[in-house]
Amino acid sequence: MGRTRARRTLGALAAATSLVALSACGGGEAEADGTITLTVATFSDFGYKPLIEEYRRTHPNVVIKERVSQFDQHHNQLSTQIASGGGAADVVAIEEGYLPKFRAVKDKFTNLADHGANDRRGEYLDWKWQQATLGTSDFVMGYGTDVGSLAVCYRKDLFARAGLPTDRAAVSALWPTWDAYFATGEKFRAKVKDKAWFDSSGNIFTAMMNQTEFGFFDAGDRYIGDSNPKVKEFFTATARATAAGQSANLQPFSQQWNTGIKLGRMATMTCPAWMTGLIKTAAGESAAGTWDIAAVPGGGGNWGGSFLTVPKQGKHVKEAAELADFLTSAAAQKKIFTGPVGALPSLVGVLDDPEVEGAAQDWFSQAPTGEIFASSAKSLKPNYRGTKDQQARIPFGNALQLVEQGKADPAAAWDKALAEAAKNLR
Amino acid sequence: MAVQTRPLPTGRPGPPRPRRRPGRSPLPYLFVAPFFLLFAVFGAYPLLQTLWVSLHDWDRLAGQGEWVGLANFRRLLDDADFLTALFNTLSIFLLSTVPQLLAALAVAWLLDRHLRARTVWRALVLVPQYVSVVAVALVFSQLFGRDYGVVNGALQGLGLIDAPVDWTADTWSSHLAISFMVMWRWTGYNALIYLAAMQAVPRELYESAAIDGASRLLTFRKVTLPAIRPTLLFTVVISTIGGLQLFAEPFLFDQQGNAEGGAEHQFQTLTLMLYKYGFINNDAGYASAVSWVLFLVIAVVAAVNLVLARRPRRP
Repeated sequence: MGRTRARRTLGALAAATSLVALSACGGGEAEADGTITLTVATFSDFGYKPLIEEYRRTHPNVVIKERVSQFDQHHNQLSTQIASGGGAADVVAIEEGYLPKFRAVKDKFTNLADHGANDRRGEYLDWKWQQATLGTSDFVMGYGTDVGSLAVCYRKDLFARAGLPTDRAAVSALWPTWDAYFATGEKFRAKVKDKAWFDSSGNIFTAMMNQTEFGFFDAGDRYIGDSNPKVKEFFTATARATAAGQSANLQPFSQQWNTGIKLGRMATMTCPAWMTGLIKTAAGESAAGTWDIAAVPGGGGNWGGSFLTVPKQGKHVKEAAELADFLTSAAAQKKIFTGPVGALPSLVGVLDDPEVEGAAQDWFSQAPTGEIFASSAKSLKPNYRGTKDQQARIPFGNALQLVEQGKADPAAAWDKALAEAAKNLR
Repeated sequence: MAVQTRPLPTGRPGPPRPRRRPGRSPLPYLFVAPFFLLFAVFGAYPLLQTLWVSLHDWDRLAGQGEWVGLANFRRLLDDADFLTALFNTLSIFLLSTVPQLLAALAVAWLLDRHLRARTVWRALVLVPQYVSVVAVALVFSQLFGRDYGVVNGALQGLGLIDAPVDWTADTWSSHLAISFMVMWRWTGYNALIYLAAMQAVPRELYESAAIDGASRLLTFRKVTLPAIRPTLLFTVVISTIGGLQLFAEPFLFDQQGNAEGGAEHQFQTLTLMLYKYGFINNDAGYASAVSWVLFLVIAVVAAVNLVLARRPRRP
């Protein structure tokens, strides 16, 4: 008797275990006491900590959790979450380069126009608003957070060694065009042989491409990388300068790149507003006063900047939209810019704010960052990104790397880039 | 070490028990059911679903597109990147697995002897397994750094190379560096498995070999190796599966996070290629075709291994 019972129990247990294992996939959180939990997912420190504190004080029933991951991982995860229909945070940041990829599935995102986003249209830089609305007027995919703008950061001590001017106005005057920038690089390299002119050919090419109105794709989202004369012009110029030894051949944002900045292996770097923070961190406090900021060749441009979106799959879409609105408000953006993160606001009113306009960075030889970045941010033409922009960019970056590694000359690298891009886009 | 002897059965054998006909009681099936249920959900279903996806034009975000039959597979066979990835996978697999298993045998052989503080040594061998693969990859990427890497420094210090090697730039150098990461992580693990097998070898075999005057090496070849053959087979199959699915090491070796495996895909393995198409380009159809081909490659290589390892020894 006892034995049979034991066997039955065991049998039932075995069956139950498999059921538990199966059902463990479902389920969700339930809030009993009326408080709701909102998750905010970003890909680096957006400077939201103090703002979230502030929000909690006015909204005691909202608990906010931050989820921060690495740049590419963050966006790939979002793809997975969108594809599987669950797991996305309530408020998710999307960087401008990745935004077009999600444009194709905009129905998976809350239309913020339904939550009063259009009331804020006048606050935003026009081109930033256009990016967020995907060219339509009735769909608002996200609230713009920051913009990148574009400048060039340079090492004053190395410029002095090469006999070049060190004053930022005079330095800006050295390179009205990219041709002049590379020519200055030649002059620099003739005098200072142990240092490179720029960090990475990839970053230079990206900056140039971000200054075009249409780069790899036309307004109809057709790939034009092989026919747009600008692409070939920029690629060839970068590749030639690289072949001539102007690049420090450091893969952007890698460990080597950070060490390269620390050891001052290059005289200049393309510098969106957010890059200043990276340079400062990599170079360290002891390098304060060696770097300064000048204008970018080719006249203005934008690189980077993000949007806060609200995926439809969230349980508290209305509250999430409200939070996204708060985190991108004028007061919030100003606080972030003047805080340690220093991301450049995307709102006209904040850019015009005397406190923002007059901001300067001590570490960068008191460079007037407010003036440098804010003024160019306002005069920008938007840079159109195709839905497969990233897929087009990678082969061109790879081809430039081949030049850096001495495996291809500029002409061969160009052919390779075209062939690889065509393959990657099919 | 105690000599194990099995007591011979005493007493007369009873009448043979009537053999139960299979299929009467549901209980045994119920006991094995959980595994098969789990396998059906997490093994068979994804496998078949992947096959289904591979036969379609399928965007990861937009979902199912039109039926394309075997077009994704045909495209794969025409894709030069696929051949590169296949070569890279096999090359890194051989470069890492063969020395790794030989080294593991040597380590196990050493550990099998009477050492002082034996347990400490045995525990230390497993330390690389405790460290997360991400940390290992990041540390090794720095060791194999072009500009300030320790490996380049040492090689230059010894006068073996003139200029620093750009480890990620070339096929041979990147494969070598990645293989080192794999070996670092898995040699100790395999050594412990071998050690366990070696300890189970009856000691009297060694004693008789010693009496016959066999040298250490001969004893190892003629006694130890044949005795641990099933274990060798097991590690070979497991390393094959692991080696052909290598992902984290090559993915993190290049700090771009875009699964390109270098500017010319010189260290893009099949899983890296799968990740690139599936999770970066969102081309789920093509990625599924890659994963099915990878599945077949592993099956073939595992079968070849099995045949090689099972091959009867010539007397």
